[in-house]
Amino acid sequence: MIKISAKNVDVFYGKKQALFNINLDIEENQVTALIGPSGCGKSTFLRCLNRMNDVIDICKVQGEIVINDFNINDKGCDVVRLREKIGMVFQKPNPFPKTLYENISYGPTIHGMAQSKQEMDEIVETSLKKAALWEEVKDRLHEPGTGLSGGQQQRLCIARAISVQPEVILMDEPCSALDPIATAQIEELIDELKKEHTIIIVTHSMAQAARVSQRTGFFHLGELIEHGSTDKIFKNPDNTKTQDYITGRFG
Amino acid sequence: MSEAPHTVKSYEEELKNLNSNIIKMGGFCEEALGKAIQAITTRNSDHAESVIKDDEKIDKFETLIEQQVVNLIALRQPMAIDLRETVTALKISSDLERIGDLAKNISKRTLLLNEYLPKNLVDALVRVSSNVQKQLKSILDAYLDRSSSMAMNVWESDEKIDDLTNLCMQEVIKYLKENEKNLDDGTHLLFVTKNIERIGDHTTNVAEQVYYLVTGEYLEGDRPKGTEPIVTGEK
Repeated sequence: MIKISAKNVDVFYGKKQALFNINLDIEENQVTALIGPSGCGKSTFLRCLNRMNDVIDICKVQGEIVINDFNINDKGCDVVRLREKIGMVFQKPNPFPKTLYENISYGPTIHGMAQSKQEMDEIVETSLKKAALWEEVKDRLHEPGTGLSGGQQQRLCIARAISVQPEVILMDEPCSALDPIATAQIEELIDELKKEHTIIIVTHSMAQAARVSQRTGFFHLGELIEHGSTDKIFKNPDNTKTQDYITGRFG
Repeated sequence: MSEAPHTVKSYEEELKNLNSNIIKMGGFCEEALGKAIQAITTRNSDHAESVIKDDEKIDKFETLIEQQVVNLIALRQPMAIDLRETVTALKISSDLERIGDLAKNISKRTLLLNEYLPKNLVDALVRVSSNVQKQLKSILDAYLDRSSSMAMNVWESDEKIDDLTNLCMQEVIKYLKENEKNLDDGTHLLFVTKNIERIGDHTTNVAEQVYYLVTGEYLEGDRPKGTEPIVTGEK
């Protein structure tokens, strides 16, 4: 089933066009990887999906992005509600300078998701368990989140993202600052999370895209060159540019 | 290879090297088959002995290619066309190695045959083997040129080889029936004929690999089959 449908999306930074007529359907409960060289527009596209580009003054987005039959670029779209439904995890782990507990409880608090301390405790525990971090931190929930290792911090950020039960999780190079073990833990987590969430991940690691995703889209110079099953893209892509990129023949 | 070169030159070199080893190995197989057929049809023991001796070279290529493939997978993690290059090289090398073995077996039997073979038998052998030789040459060219249409042609021509094999088998059976003294030679010739047909089958395997290498698709459907092989001479 299609979860997100991007139709004729153009993005401009001032006069410079960053994305050209992107049409892409994102399947529900699957992992979609967006790959392409630096500056190709993959992160810009990712940021369109929860209107993160709104914070950039000169950025203008055109076209439709339909999520649950609703065009999120419509004027009536409540961006706060949108970001509750579409969470995001960034390249560098960015926990709030607060305790582990507060990192998780922040979102549910502002969205009014818990009626009591007990309910909030449950949300914190479930989120940390889903992010495969609970066992490592359950005895230190009131210590600062910034005291964790890089990999743990990133899982904390994932726990924070899932605490508000988003339908979609956007990940912008979530493992680029992590070692291979922490990377494997995140990848395992992505595999688990896709049962309940739709995941879109931007990654520079082709091997990671191949490992974690079921669908892959290849961006180049602001265009979506090719998209399809990950299997097909990495074994026998249709487009020469895709092949040149994934086999290291670019430029 | 028609693609742009890899950014990492050493990777490019490794793939080129793998490719050229397949070509070289194929060249040795062509030579072995050619000599083996010449040895049996012209009764040239020197040729037969050199085929037996040179089979080692072909075997060594198989080992070398296998090592190269394992290294590429472990160290380069090839993708897309590079992955297909790597995997098909492994499979093609194993078919070529079998072709070398079969040519060697033909030569061993050649050394055991009597001096004289009837002309119609030799002619039948030449007919089937020249077709197989042509197939082997074509498929190596198809590999070199990355031509899926040539690979397809080779694949489709296996039928003809099956038919010629059966004709040749009939000649051998006739020869066996003529005289009890023909039993030893006739038996060897049955195996020789079968070996030639098997080389044709390995050539067809290579054709499937070349097709996959070029297109990323598998050749679908049953292989074209000629007449059913003759199991007994009772007819």
